[in-house]
Amino acid sequence: MTDLNALSDEAFRAEVRRFVESEFPAELRNPAHRLHWDQGKAWFEKLRAKGWVAPGWPREYGGMGLSASKQIILIEEYERHGVARLPDHGVIMLGPLLIRFGTEEQRQRFLPRILAGEDIWCQGYSEPGAGSDLASLRTEAVLDGDHYVVNGQKIWTTLATDANWIFCLVRTDKGGKKQEGISFLLIDMTSPGVTVRPIINLGLHDEFCEVFFDNVRVPRENLVGEPNKGWSMAKALLGFERIFLGSPRQSGYALARLKMLAERMGVFDEPDFQDRYTRLRMDLEDHKDLYETYVAILRRGETLGADVSMLKLHQAELFQRITELMLEIAGENAGLLEPMGGNRDLHPSGQFIEARPTTIYGGSSEIQRGILAKNVLELPG
Amino acid sequence: MSEVLEREGVEERAESIRMIRESAAGIAPRGGDRKRIRALRFKEPGFDPAVLRQMGEQGWIGLRVPESRGGAGLGMSEFCALAEEMGAALAPEPLIPAALSAALLAAPGAASGAEGPLDALLGGDQLVLTAWQEAAGMLEASGTADAARVFIPQAGGAQAFLVPVREGGRLSLRLQPREGADLTLEKTQDGAFYGTLRPAGGEVIAEDVGGALELALDEAALATAACLLGVMDQAFALTLDYLRTRQQFGKPIGSFQALQHRAADLKVQLALSRASVEAAAALLDGGADRAARRAAVSRAKARASDAAMLVTRQAIQLHGGIGYTDEADIGLYLRKTMVLANQFGPSALHRRRFAAEAREDEA
Repeated sequence: MTDLNALSDEAFRAEVRRFVESEFPAELRNPAHRLHWDQGKAWFEKLRAKGWVAPGWPREYGGMGLSASKQIILIEEYERHGVARLPDHGVIMLGPLLIRFGTEEQRQRFLPRILAGEDIWCQGYSEPGAGSDLASLRTEAVLDGDHYVVNGQKIWTTLATDANWIFCLVRTDKGGKKQEGISFLLIDMTSPGVTVRPIINLGLHDEFCEVFFDNVRVPRENLVGEPNKGWSMAKALLGFERIFLGSPRQSGYALARLKMLAERMGVFDEPDFQDRYTRLRMDLEDHKDLYETYVAILRRGETLGADVSMLKLHQAELFQRITELMLEIAGENAGLLEPMGGNRDLHPSGQFIEARPTTIYGGSSEIQRGILAKNVLELPG
Repeated sequence: MSEVLEREGVEERAESIRMIRESAAGIAPRGGDRKRIRALRFKEPGFDPAVLRQMGEQGWIGLRVPESRGGAGLGMSEFCALAEEMGAALAPEPLIPAALSAALLAAPGAASGAEGPLDALLGGDQLVLTAWQEAAGMLEASGTADAARVFIPQAGGAQAFLVPVREGGRLSLRLQPREGADLTLEKTQDGAFYGTLRPAGGEVIAEDVGGALELALDEAALATAACLLGVMDQAFALTLDYLRTRQQFGKPIGSFQALQHRAADLKVQLALSRASVEAAAALLDGGADRAARRAAVSRAKARASDAAMLVTRQAIQLHGGIGYTDEADIGLYLRKTMVLANQFGPSALHRRRFAAEAREDEA
């Protein structure tokens, strides 16, 4: 296998572009919803054959071992081509965590199965009573001999119906500071006592699930890192991921669709629309520039600060404003359940609904503003 | 001004509005029958014909129709109060479109052939819908004889359509039975259906209805604003409950100042919407001229459409993750608003109309 890091940025970009253009299934480009595993399996197999399942993992563990700047190029090309996201919590979240905090035995046991597509992982963090206040989570793991006995409930578990393993934050100590009694536990979802219930969302799709644990016995060796250190481990992984929630991609697609809709409705050339459309375009261009400043930080190999919250905050609200204008210009079409005339690009109500949760998930806009006020601006209180 | 209104004083008026709201609660209680709403969603015809019949029996469909034509002869203030309650209850029955048809069938230009359909419509036995619209985002009937009529609300439950057709410079009304009609249905976000109808002739049952239709569309737009007022009022009430009870960081989330301020801003929009809708209704009941009527209706509808979108969007945000689930009732109010906000004129159309019609002292 060629050392991709040795390629120039231009050559690497061309290589990625060639690959996605020839191999990515056209019908999966820019899907309106997260793909289920069976929908994305064919693309996963292409990635597997090429050894491209895990761009960020070191080569010794079967990853591509890409530098931060090469990973960004890869993602830019994927986004440009509209490459759909697979159920990828194993690759993006668990892999890096095991590589950093797991035992060698845990790495050897779990990493190859992720690369082979044999284990599909989902993330069990949020609970009904612990959303924005995640550290108040109550799903409990009590040691009983060589096993932890887990009881509780997780919610907003993305694509849990597709997964056979779940990594969870669980409470292992009820005394002291709430962040300090949390551990990181890997749970086989085929264990007795695990129940998954899909949640139908506002878009009438089933991306999210609830996962229930009723006296689930989990071998002790499935705990990652030290007991009660799960919170800081999970937090340490947030840095790199956070930039992608601020990617201009969603807003870029939405703006292109707004233009198509405006042309279809015959308002594109109206001065009032042009003013509002141009404002959004300029917002998007400014956002791309802001995004680039954070990409540059990663390229230099530095870590992101709390101020990266600005990216996610602005992108989510820009995306929403674009889809709100769609509803305003669509007339009665704004109320239709399905795309206009069967054209997936002309679906103002669907895109408006798709934009709703972006200010809620991954740290709500209220939480992001709080981070900016407290951790960046260092305001009192 | 209607005869009933002329007889009555201010106190009697307030009493009749209160009674309307009370009787509304008997058929479609505020927030009390969301199970019924869910059971009817996305299944043709999208509403319960038995409930529509009850509405007819209550005299609601003919609320604005003169007593001499079999209606109740009440005013827009009463009709808006009723529409608000229907909005708060998320009632899917097409009361406003039915009332629009009743106004046309009772118009001075109606022929004897209109009497049968009017009686059946007022009693709630038959649903007659007016297929006036030829493109999205309009509030005027062109009357193009062979143009498809679009966005007919709850068309799947209609027994007949009134199709305005321009003949000799005037709009006449053709009655087209549902049976044999080229009608296609599309689902809407609130679980109802929009119909597209290909006109195919039919008996002329009213002539020169241009003026009556223009007035009826204005009244429907104002009633829709009132309906949106009810939707956002109820969504706001549910959201305040959630802010008071949902705990994060060891206290109710409603204790966080950022959320308190947002709730306060929403309350201001609600109050402006109510003031605008009620003032417009009173103005119409007082016998306003055409320009004043159009300006007032447009101001109320623009406000209610934009405010309802804001309130119901924020209601989802303030509910957090649970607000993005279909099983949480708060989403039903957003879906209803997505449909109603642009019905009988989106806010941009109403702003243009206001600018064209409002006198300086109103602007």
